[in-house]
Amino acid sequence: MNSILSVLWQKNPALAWREIDEATVIISPKDSVMHELNATGSFLWKNIDGRRSAVDLASLLAENYEVAPDVAQTDTQSLLEEMCSRKLLVPAPATGGESR
Amino acid sequence: MNAPDANSGGAPKRCFDLSIGCVPLRLRTSDIQLFHAASSRYSAFAAAAAQPIRITLNESSRSGSEPAEFGFEFEGAALRASSQETRFDGVRNEYALDSLLRVLLSWKLAGRHGFLLHAATVVRGGKAYVFTGRSGAGKSTVASLSPAGTVLTDEISLLRFEKGEWRAYGTPFWGEFRAAGSNSSAPIRGFFRLVQAAENRATPLRPLEMLRALLPNVLFFSAESEANRRLLEILSHAADSISGYELAFRKDPAFWEVLPE
Repeated sequence: MNSILSVLWQKNPALAWREIDEATVIISPKDSVMHELNATGSFLWKNIDGRRSAVDLASLLAENYEVAPDVAQTDTQSLLEEMCSRKLLVPAPATGGESR
Repeated sequence: MNAPDANSGGAPKRCFDLSIGCVPLRLRTSDIQLFHAASSRYSAFAAAAAQPIRITLNESSRSGSEPAEFGFEFEGAALRASSQETRFDGVRNEYALDSLLRVLLSWKLAGRHGFLLHAATVVRGGKAYVFTGRSGAGKSTVASLSPAGTVLTDEISLLRFEKGEWRAYGTPFWGEFRAAGSNSSAPIRGFFRLVQAAENRATPLRPLEMLRALLPNVLFFSAESEANRRLLEILSHAADSISGYELAFRKDPAFWEVLPE
């Protein structure tokens, strides 16, 4: 996971997801597993678009939640690692950006 | 409704029309045993309607089939569906037919703003009370504690949003009653996640909690991303617009006293 901060990530296009009650519910159709993100995770999820770097995401998090930059970076790294481990994210193609 | 059909050769083909949750279906087969089994099993749901989903049953020798949009296999039986035709092949008995019908309906309902749910549904005061939970959660217990004639189903409910309201339909799919559900529907009063307990208590669920309760109990068999997105959209709408509760109940009819009227 050392490269987590140096890679541009996008949402796994195979997933179905929906925001509800300030949380995000994600379904992985292949294995019928349901994932749930809390408010902070949902905020990051909304902003993960294949163009924003982890540093960009941490800046957005710091601004939105009024937390110190180093705290935001640690939280962002932790959340990205968690999402990657659950296969919710995939590396963005070189041209960057999500199609939907 | 179940007349012999014209046929170019071989055994005569017969058709059986049925409707489940206002989804019209037509089974067509030359398998006379299966035809009689289906006619008997789904007799309460027999109904002819315009533009049914046509299902060719055990006629695998047919040629010129389109590529399937959706496929599913279950214990040697196979479902293949395209925009023009639906085929069930290798169906050896009514139980396999029942399984493929559930799978097909779950897929078709996603295009009709509906879904199948492991749930017992009981009608009280003209409104449907939908009780969900996995096997052993108490669906059949709730149904058995309800007055005769009020149970739409003790196993699988069909929920659809139509004309501005959510309705629950009975289905012919068997539960512990070993009997078909009722071919009728009612507007939904509430959705209840079952928890057996020492006392009766109904606690409101937030939409997210209701979605959590719905998801593990929905029958859905497509691994296709877009179909799952549609399903999640439908379930989120249901969670947002139907009143949901956790129902702690003990095994006596008094649990009705804590339910909203």
